[in-house]
Parts: sequence; structure tokens; C-alpha cells
Amino acid sequence: MKTLSNHAPVKGHLPVLLPVRRVLLSDIPLQDRLFNVWTAAALLLAFVAAAVGPSFAQAEAAPARSIAAILLEWTPSLALAFGFNVLISIFAMAIGTVMGVGLGILQVSPTAAVRKTAWVVTQFFRNSPWLVLLFYCILLIPFKVSLFGVSVPFPGWIKAVIGLSLPVMAYMSEFMRGAILSIPTGQWESASSLGFSRGQTMREIILPQTVKRVLPPWMNLYAVLTMATPLVSIVGVNEVMSVTRAALSAEGRVDLLIPMYLYILCWFFIYCYPISALTSRLERRFAVKL
Amino acid sequence: MKRLMGAAAAIAMVAAFSTAAQADKLDDIKAAGKIVVGVKQDYKPWGYLTSDGELTGLEIDLAKDVASRLGVEAELVPVVASNRMEFLQQGRIDLIIATMGDNPERREVVGMIEPNYYAGGTNVIAPKAAGLKEWEDIRGKDVCALQGSYYNKRVTQLYGPNLVAFAGIPEATSALTNGSCVAFLYDNTWIESQLASDPQWADYEMPFVTEDPQAWSIAVPLEDLDQPYGQLMSEIVTDWHKTGYLIERNAANGIAPSPFLQEQHDKLQ
Repeated sequence: MKTLSNHAPVKGHLPVLLPVRRVLLSDIPLQDRLFNVWTAAALLLAFVAAAVGPSFAQAEAAPARSIAAILLEWTPSLALAFGFNVLISIFAMAIGTVMGVGLGILQVSPTAAVRKTAWVVTQFFRNSPWLVLLFYCILLIPFKVSLFGVSVPFPGWIKAVIGLSLPVMAYMSEFMRGAILSIPTGQWESASSLGFSRGQTMREIILPQTVKRVLPPWMNLYAVLTMATPLVSIVGVNEVMSVTRAALSAEGRVDLLIPMYLYILCWFFIYCYPISALTSRLERRFAVKL
Repeated sequence: MKRLMGAAAAIAMVAAFSTAAQADKLDDIKAAGKIVVGVKQDYKPWGYLTSDGELTGLEIDLAKDVASRLGVEAELVPVVASNRMEFLQQGRIDLIIATMGDNPERREVVGMIEPNYYAGGTNVIAPKAAGLKEWEDIRGKDVCALQGSYYNKRVTQLYGPNLVAFAGIPEATSALTNGSCVAFLYDNTWIESQLASDPQWADYEMPFVTEDPQAWSIAVPLEDLDQPYGQLMSEIVTDWHKTGYLIERNAANGIAPSPFLQEQHDKLQ
């Protein structure tokens, strides 16, 4: 905390007002020097080597192709399927976030009926298993809808996006409600004394302040959502888990099971870890000491 | 509660749209220029994925043959046992060619095309060292199986093994080679083709007499069974048997000769 010594710690000191800091190694807490992207990557590599190594040696003894060669051969198919997982997670997150922000604002509505309805919807989707919601979306949404002579197709992955966006919406709604309520009520009173309407206060004063409070849990939610996307394989969407299973069947090699699933695990890790690392950095940055 | 009922009503309304337009399926397929076929992607060598992402296998050959006879493109959709009949009912696929066994319960849900195009039975693959001789030998022992296989219930009732059900073949075979179970209960056609083609099964055998022969059927939506579409599919399967096309594709995909195919072929001569 050397950089802070230039500025006297003031009560209510907002970090957004601080000048840009140059980060020195000694400024980074020990915890982050130990747990960062690079140590994680090194650990992961060691882990993979330990797990794949023995089977790799076995494979070399046999005349069959080595495990590494098989994994390499399937990489393009698996990469395509993993891209599908990422796509599903991004769309589900986008839809869920937009709906969740709306629902969260409704949860603090001054009208009791609106507030209670929004609360019921939030609680319903937040406390239902994701897989069950997915099943309902897959089985209840028709594969195409004919409206006024125009038929709109609903392929499986769009249903999966809708299914996954529902719990995202509910979590987001709770984040927003919490963030809005955490803004000191004095701000509402000051705003109304300055002639702001409720809508103006919400849009121009309250919501901008909720962004930094919601951002870290929002990113955590995205990482969790990405790791939940293999669920959609169960409902017949051809994402990375289904393709892995198909690849294992096609190869028919019993010793391939563990290395192949481990390989997929690495992909998810490499995609999700930077997100959680960035989240904890943002959390530190936005931490307000009052 | 009101909210929930509202949601249920909305869902029911949306579901109603799906059943709105039902013209003749065959005309729809020809108008669309493609037939959507549900196939397996994890059942080598009947239907599996190659590393460049292409579906291939005996049933994919059959799907493509159906398409070329109709003069349309074949669009292949990977299905699994738990979703293939729902997909057909929903209209996401037009035809199932996915190692589906023909039985009375399923006949109430989908239109099973006669004649049957293939047949398999129940058997186990087990290490030779286990010394299994007859079905009674698995009583009380751990036996690997697949979730949702129709023969699980029957075998459990008759011989009382302790079934350990897995989601896929790779998981089940992995457990078998780990020694987690004494045998893997599965389709005899798959076991025969594995034993014949793959050196990793050199120390394994299929020790029992194959039981409970089950005919496989391709399927169309139930309401199309007696329509021109269903009748045409029936003619195509008959022709496959008659011309020896199935026997030829069976051999081309490296599957052991099937007595059922030979019998059907001889019957139609």
C-alpha cells in the first residue's frame, strides 16, 4: 500500500478518483503473487503431464497411435464444439443480463403488485435446477413457430440459450436489487430535492453507481454459466461434451477416457480462469474503505 | 400461483402452434429439398463421428440412400436414445435411423416401419479370465450396462446381477477394463464387431448364448405411418433386403455378417 501513502486516507475516499497507479511487484499482495494466471498455467501443465504421462508411455509400447496424436487429431472438431459452448454462454449471458436488470429494477418498484410479481419470478428461476429449466425449454418450445404465415425455426441451441438465460436472469435480478438497495437512501432524497423524478434518479444517479457493484458477481456468474454449458449435451445439442463422447466411441480406446476428459477440462480452465482472475482484480479495485 | 398458471397457459399456447400445420410429409420433404434424419454419433460402426467431424457408418449410408431415392439432400442430426422419439414428434427430424429396437410401447409413440431393417440381441462381453459360462453366473455380481437400455430390466429380473449403469459406451468399457465390473451387458452385434476388429479385446469373450432377439426399425411420425411417406419408407426397406443392399453395406462397414439380414434376403427372393 505504498502508493496510497502519497494521499492521506480520507474517509469516504472513492477509488474512482485515484490517479492511475503503477503497479510494483511489492504492491501486489502475497496471495496474488502466488495465485495468478502463470502459476495456474504451470500447475495445470504439471497436472496434465502427470495424468497423461503414464498412458502416453503405455501407448508407445503398443503399436497403436499415441494418445497425444489422437487428441491432436480431434482438436479441430473439439475446438468447433467448444466454440459452440462459448457462443451459447455469451448469448445466454446477454439475454439473461438484459432481462435480469429489468427484473431487478422491478423488484424495487414502489408499486407493491409489480414488486411482488418480480420477486416471485426471480425466486422461481433462481431456485430451480438449471437442468430442469433446460429440459422444459427443449421439450416445450416447438422446433418452429408459425406466426402470421412466417415460420421462425427454433434450433436446439437457441432453446438451450433460452433455458440457460432464465437462471442468469434471476441471479442478475438479485444482484441488481442488492446493488440498488446498497446505494444510501440519502441520494434518493437529495435527487428529489433537486427536482429529479424517480425515473431520472434511477437512470442518471442510481444505476450508474450499481455498475461497479454488480460487475464482479456478474463476471463470476459468467464463469459459472460457461462451466454449466456441458449440461446442454444432455438435451441433444452438439456441444463439446457430446463431441467428446462421440470421439471416445469412434476411437474405441479404453485408455483414452481419462486423458480426453482432462483435455476438455483444460480448455474450460484456460477459458474461465482469466475471467475469475480479472474478477478478483476488479473486486480489489472497487473495494471502498469507509 | 396466478403467475404460474399464466406461464403454463402461455407455454400450452406456444406448443399448440407446433401442431398447427400438418400437410403431407412427403410433399413437405420434397418442397424443402432435404430430409432430416436422426442418427447415432456414438455407436460405431453403425453411426459414428470421424475426426474431421463427418458422420459415417452403416446407418448413415442408409440415411443417404433414402435421401437419394427421394431426390433430396440428407441432413443428419445426432440423436441419443433419450431424445430421438421426442425429436420425431416435435418435427425436428423426419426419420429415425438410430439403432432403435421395435417394441409395442414404442409403437404407440412413433410409426415403426415394417419390415425391420436389422436385429440384435442381448449378450455380455467379459474377460476370459472371469470364466463366465452361462447367464446364471452373473447373479449377484457387478455388471456394467448403459442407462436406458431396454434389456436392463429383463436381465435384472431373470438373472439378478447388480447393474451399474453408465451414460455412454466409453465410460462402461473403461469400467470393465478397470475391473469395476465383471462383464458389460450390451448388444451382441456391437460386441461381435468389437471382438472381431479390435486387438484391445483379445483377452475378452462373449460367453453366453445371445438372448431376447430384438428387431430394429426405422421410424416416421405415427400419423405418417399409413400415409404415402410411411408406405414409401416401407418399400425402401423391403428393397434394401431384396437387393442385398443391407448385406453389402453391413460388410462394407466391417460388421460381422448378420443372420437376420441373410434370412430376410432369402425370404424375399
